[in-house]
Amino acid sequence: MSTKHSKAAAEFLKNKKQAAWHDETLWLVRAKRDRLSKEVPEWEELRDMACATKLYSNSHLDELLVEFENNARANGAHVYWAKDADEYCNIVYNILNQHGVKHFIKSKSMLAEECELNPFLENKGIEVVESDLGERILQLMHLKPSHIVLPAIHIKREQVGELFEKEMGTEKGNFDPTYLTHAARKSLRQKFIHAEAAMTGANFAVASTGEIVVCTNEGNADMGTSQPKLQIAAFGMEKIVPDRESLGVFTRLLARSATGQPITTYTSHYRKPREGGEFHIIIVDNGRSKILADQKHIRTLNCIRCGACMNTCPVYRRSGGYSYTYFIPGPIGINLGMLKAPLHYHDNVSACSLCYSCSFVCPAKVDLAEQIYLWRQDLDKLGKADRMKKVMSGGMKYMMNRPSVFNMALKWAPLANGMPRFLIYNGLNDWGKGREMPKFSKESFNEMWKKGKVK
Amino acid sequence: MSSREDILQSIRRATHVKYERPDLKPLEDMALTYPGKVEQFYLIMKQVGGEAVLLEKEEDVNDFIKKAYPEAKRIASNLKSITCATFNPDDVEDPAELNGTDLAVIDGKIGVAENGAVWIEQDVKQRAIYFIAEKLVILLDKNKIVNNMHEAYKLIDTGGYGFGTFISGPSKTADIEQALVMGAHGARDVMVVLI
Repeated sequence: MSTKHSKAAAEFLKNKKQAAWHDETLWLVRAKRDRLSKEVPEWEELRDMACATKLYSNSHLDELLVEFENNARANGAHVYWAKDADEYCNIVYNILNQHGVKHFIKSKSMLAEECELNPFLENKGIEVVESDLGERILQLMHLKPSHIVLPAIHIKREQVGELFEKEMGTEKGNFDPTYLTHAARKSLRQKFIHAEAAMTGANFAVASTGEIVVCTNEGNADMGTSQPKLQIAAFGMEKIVPDRESLGVFTRLLARSATGQPITTYTSHYRKPREGGEFHIIIVDNGRSKILADQKHIRTLNCIRCGACMNTCPVYRRSGGYSYTYFIPGPIGINLGMLKAPLHYHDNVSACSLCYSCSFVCPAKVDLAEQIYLWRQDLDKLGKADRMKKVMSGGMKYMMNRPSVFNMALKWAPLANGMPRFLIYNGLNDWGKGREMPKFSKESFNEMWKKGKVK
Repeated sequence: MSSREDILQSIRRATHVKYERPDLKPLEDMALTYPGKVEQFYLIMKQVGGEAVLLEKEEDVNDFIKKAYPEAKRIASNLKSITCATFNPDDVEDPAELNGTDLAVIDGKIGVAENGAVWIEQDVKQRAIYFIAEKLVILLDKNKIVNNMHEAYKLIDTGGYGFGTFISGPSKTADIEQALVMGAHGARDVMVVLI
């Protein structure tokens, strides 16, 4: 009955203190999101407009992308189109190679993670430096992000302290976050200055102006792109918005939903190359056009990568990002993984209690839980339904169709109450793992009803 | 066929339902407004880790800056009114030379009451100065504070340099155990001086 997710979650839960911290900390982020969203009376209307704008732009992608391309070219940028991860990586490499770039600085981009850009470039001898603090910590530890907005949420300050002592020569035993952050600031400042090219992802690409909009709190995207003269930006094509007016909607939702801030510290609009510089923009498909055709799952393309669905998810908070097999965890990751390769990522659909909290907090109204439910209906067709559950539902069906068998079972059920623990709490009963089973009542509702006890 | 054509064709093939463009007007009309935009701006600047102050009518902005930042040695500004600047960042060829700037004094175009963001339209040669300086003073006309982002987006421009940014308080991170730290990469300290 165990999926890869549940096995990995069991591992995560072995460290009880860390697991409890993870759960509580993400819940605090969720609570901040609640507080900030309630300060905006028109919050629900904002979500409606975000959803409607995304449905509009994703159903007019051909027009909007061409409009973007024309405007970006008129601004002096170079525009490329990449069908898949391979083409995207090669375009980036060719630009860097033509300019003789050996030191490359990046700000956080989930698209680069998706396409595994860093190992591709490193194999070709280019030094790639992540500049977001969390991403930098993970890069130096050779680990992957466990959350899309808070990438190093699973790492403790002591681990960072030991890492920085080795990498940056910080004081032994000093685990103070302020001290460590400022040590990274100093170290990365040199990386910014000596890089020959900088790259960002995009939170939004504006069709009417041909500009790229990047939101950060640290200012790392801006530090990077204001030092070397060669700038690259790449975005998955669903990041397009029609105009700046629509940014009014999204910038009000993004940070409030993500971290419970009224807006990110920096919301930067890159329209033209710097004086004497070059600006290269890559538009990436990598499976997105396939999702467009799937009406049941098209709303996954509304996602603005705020991570609110992870923070609220009771399963994510208690199992950690690494328990999912797709590189994006949590409710949105479950869905994106299934759209990418269902036979490969089906283990994650069990990581959901169908509480629907994710659907309620999503700022762009992605119907996350509804879609996970749909995927579960498809598991049998994919040949991935759980065998034990199939046997059990077969048995339940037999019983439910035969009232006499059902009543008999109910009558004898309370016997289980008195059974020795080892008969109930063992490897065969998943419901008894990590929780106490409810007691069967001596009398069923049916019997009580017949005796007139139900008023 | 080029990837461009391939992608556009797959998009067209895959698009079955065309959704209409929503009208944002009703939302913009009902969006959050404040009876006292300037007062709200003070409050929200505190909340985002910065500070907003009103320059008294008789006070000189240079005296004010010198008093507020007595320890600042390298002060960058290309604004004519800022005589306390020790250098003009436009005279610097390589943005790396701006490293070590203690304070930059820059011009803000629009302030947003709901979130403390100030729109900076690039008006210096090297936009690095907005991010590399240890501390930032943003001068803003107090009559240029709007209620919310809908209003702000109708007024902004990226100008001749083709770059602009909303800055809301100091650079920050909480990437180590969610502990909030000011000064991740950009300015550690941001003060908006309302004039």
